[in-house]
Amino acid sequence: MPRNFFCGSTDHALTRRSFLGAATFAGIGAATGMSSLNALAAPDLAKDLKKNQKRVILLWLAGGASQLETWDPKPGAVTGGPFRAIPTDVPGIHISELMPEMAKRMKTTCIIRGLDTKNGDHGGGAKLMTRGRRDESGVKYPDLGAVVAREMGRAESKVPDYVTFYSQTEGRISGDSGFLGSRYAPMELTSGNSPEFLKRLDGINELDHQQRADLRDMFSKQFSREHSSNTLASHNEAYERVRGIMASETLFDITKEPQKIRDKYGKTQLGEQALIARRLVEAGVPFVRVARAWWDSHGQNFETHQEMVPELDHVMATLTDDLKERGLLDDVMIVTLAEFGRTPGINSSLGRDHFASAWSMSMTGGGIKGGSVYGKTDDKGQKVIAEEVNAANLFATIYSALGINPHKNYYVGARPIPLVDPGAEPIKSVVG
Amino acid sequence: MPLPDTLKLVKDFSRPSIAFAIARAPKSNQIFLGSSDFKVSAGDLTATKFEPKDLYAHASYVTGVALAGETLVSGGYDGKLTWWDTKNAKAIRSVEAHAKWVRKVVASPDGKRIASVADDMLCKIWDAEAGKLIHTLKGHEEKTPTFFVSMLYTVAYSVDGKYLATADKVGHVVIWDATTGKELSSVEAPTMYTWDPKARMHSIGGVRSVAFSPDSKWLAVGGTGKIGNIDHLEAKARVEVFDWQAKKQVAEFVADKSQGIVNRLEFAKDGSWLLGAGGAGEGFLIFMDVAGKKIIKQEKAPMHVHDFVLSDAADSLVLAGHNKVSQYKLG
Repeated sequence: MPRNFFCGSTDHALTRRSFLGAATFAGIGAATGMSSLNALAAPDLAKDLKKNQKRVILLWLAGGASQLETWDPKPGAVTGGPFRAIPTDVPGIHISELMPEMAKRMKTTCIIRGLDTKNGDHGGGAKLMTRGRRDESGVKYPDLGAVVAREMGRAESKVPDYVTFYSQTEGRISGDSGFLGSRYAPMELTSGNSPEFLKRLDGINELDHQQRADLRDMFSKQFSREHSSNTLASHNEAYERVRGIMASETLFDITKEPQKIRDKYGKTQLGEQALIARRLVEAGVPFVRVARAWWDSHGQNFETHQEMVPELDHVMATLTDDLKERGLLDDVMIVTLAEFGRTPGINSSLGRDHFASAWSMSMTGGGIKGGSVYGKTDDKGQKVIAEEVNAANLFATIYSALGINPHKNYYVGARPIPLVDPGAEPIKSVVG
Repeated sequence: MPLPDTLKLVKDFSRPSIAFAIARAPKSNQIFLGSSDFKVSAGDLTATKFEPKDLYAHASYVTGVALAGETLVSGGYDGKLTWWDTKNAKAIRSVEAHAKWVRKVVASPDGKRIASVADDMLCKIWDAEAGKLIHTLKGHEEKTPTFFVSMLYTVAYSVDGKYLATADKVGHVVIWDATTGKELSSVEAPTMYTWDPKARMHSIGGVRSVAFSPDSKWLAVGGTGKIGNIDHLEAKARVEVFDWQAKKQVAEFVADKSQGIVNRLEFAKDGSWLLGAGGAGEGFLIFMDVAGKKIIKQEKAPMHVHDFVLSDAADSLVLAGHNKVSQYKLG
């Protein structure tokens, strides 16, 4: 019987694929056991390890949150609205008074204020800002979650690679793995905070479940002693993955968290889902999207943002602190992003409409240089006047911060597909 | 009392900002405006060219102006109340009145008290002359039932000055003894608050206006109806009238030709009609016969109306709203 050197520890599993993969890159050749590798001698391996530790929580502000009531206030301007700007813990950076908690944590956060993405349509804008590019005929690009799942996921992972929460019905967009295929499609939660189909059937108890697995394993080993089969390995991997993902059901259960942690995140849906996201990334899930719909304040913009921004502020601050206290903030990037921002102009219903010409997003932790602002809008917030950023540049920046080469190619058939639009470069000044 | 069907637009003045609040000096053509440019300004309705002069500024939107004799008191999103001597054109005092955004400021009918409401969910009663805080009225929850911050939108005195009414985002309306600050009664108008848990997970609406009938028996409450798509103020304007002592609704008005929210209400001095004004993308005026339980007249306003002043004789009406001030006559 072959000896298994693998101790079964999650920490060691994290590095196992990297060892095998990086060893191949280093020209050492694939190995089936760890004893033949001198992993620490390979610099690409160290870089790969670093990359593989990064994870992302995307707070998707569906419907388009107003940059003027969050990251790029213009108090006193005719477009500014009633809310004032407050100083942050970074001298010279001010944000909306609706975000007092994040104002104390700007040292962890980078704001991009110069987004000009030109698409003010919910559907088109969402596609653009979840992929970093527009689809083209014959090519369906994967979204950010699928790419991160592909780059950071582990073949033997016992947790999902990509999880998305979108509980509201308005503007709901599914995760999309595009040409990367179903392997990198997300686990989608659209009702409730727990996956629907992970539970064992009621008629199968835990002992049955384990004994079925043991029986399948026995048959699999018997078969492999007498036959050579590529499919068998793939089947085994799939079953292990399914069993692992079934076991990850507890990650979605916030009753497992101490009450004081739950109280910190608060009782709102966003708070609870952000807490689950923390549990997931802590367990190694590379990408979690938590959608907070629906910000489309064509009427009563100030009332809507007065209600919703404090929730976002509190949850984001709590999540930032929680990750920091667990030693995870350097490895987990929190992104706030939407399909677009909102018009500087205020309509008769005291609303703001769609606006993609000068808006904002934020990145916290995970390889980003905190305490920075990139991009500047004019005094009314009507246009970008310095350091304009498009979707491609933004995604190049995110990938780069995560340790993913934004210029690498995927392949659709024989056709190389660069990860970001050709010519797009990351914003080097914000990549830590 | 002039009849609503004698309503006629006299003049329309464009403004570069949104006028949220208006006050008018008694028996005078001088008006005071509180606006989105943070300014409190004074204008003459009879001027050949209506160009209000800026008097002073808050640090944010000015949402309430009230006259107590010759003293103007304003309030804004900076949480402050400012007292201004209109005769001598000078500031008297500025007070850090509320921890959050002031939504409305009114003067008692005798001019001795000022009442302010803000999103700290407090109504505060002040000595109009000395500026001293007399009462702090706590009767509204800081959070909505779904754990979000609430808003305290409006306040009004009864004609005899004995009572105050305050109303909030979730439709909770409280009636107070204006002298003692004691809570006397409450009524609910939950239809005016729409919480959408399924599609959009936020709310819209709230009670935005209250007005006592001349005999103080009834309290009219203004807002909007239940909304399907809360991205917009798409429901019809809605007014409910309560016998607040019996805690009973006595009338309900849904203005079928008027979309939006009722920001301001006032009864005619003889009680023969109730006027509501507001808007969404456009503005409206609604005249209601409360005793007869019917809408008398609906009129499109030149803009979304945030406030108005009605003369004691109800022969002059001045609207303040989105980029406009409009003057009407009745009778």
